Amino acid sequence: MSDTRSLANLTALRDGSVLGRVRHLGSAHSGLREWRLQRLTALALIPLGVYFAASMVRLATSGRMTAAQCLSSPVSALLVILMLLAGLAHMLAGLRSVFLDYVHTRARLVLANLLLRAATAILAGASVLAVLKLFLGR
Amino acid sequence: MPMQRPLSPFMFPTWYRFQITSALSILHRLTGIALAVGSILLTWWLVAVAAGGELFAATHSFIRSPVGTVLLFLWSVAFFYHLCNGIRHLAWDAGYGFELRSAYRGGYIVIAGALLLTVLTWAYVFLG
Repeated sequence: MSDTRSLANLTALRDGSVLGRVRHLGSAHSGLREWRLQRLTALALIPLGVYFAASMVRLATSGRMTAAQCLSSPVSALLVILMLLAGLAHMLAGLRSVFLDYVHTRARLVLANLLLRAATAILAGASVLAVLKLFLGR
Repeated sequence: MPMQRPLSPFMFPTWYRFQITSALSILHRLTGIALAVGSILLTWWLVAVAAGGELFAATHSFIRSPVGTVLLFLWSVAFFYHLCNGIRHLAWDAGYGFELRSAYRGGYIVIAGALLLTVLTWAYVFLG
């Protein structure tokens, strides 16, 4: 009876001490940090994503003034920036795991990950800058 | 130097027969990749809104064109599927729903939820 927790509590999503116990284990010897980042950004993207999909699909089909007006409000600018950052971090982790499965030589994997990081940084920089311009230029 | 481990996709064509659970799992990845491509279009759109002028006019007329509308619709389907199935994955990560019955039931709920959210969003776009 020393451990009353069920097995369900022993996943890394629920129990921070799992990190200490499983570090450097597994075939790749790393990756729990990225695994957890992917899950935490997934959690954040549930409310952010629902807000985003509801408002942005509508904005995308509307005229420029509506989209520009919406993004000049502090709350929506903040929510969109948070959505972009959480979404792109989530995308980076997800695509890295896809590459790990399908890019089969070390050199190509390193190159693919470098290109992916560069592309993600450009997308994050450009999209956040665009939202900031709309927010500050009201 | 090839890596010393089994290389994907090594199971699917040879050893697996079609099941809805594995199909939904692959669909989660495919929609994830589609959404990554969509993030390029999303950034393009945000930059166009910020830039205004001709760039926005061209972007806007592309989105409103039949091809643009279909792409946006497919984006919303991929988004809501990935969202619903992602919640199912989070439940698994937290230790729930591993029984075969739950895995199948969750799969059908995910399909229904994704369709419902897509319909609600587009109803909001056209009627709201």
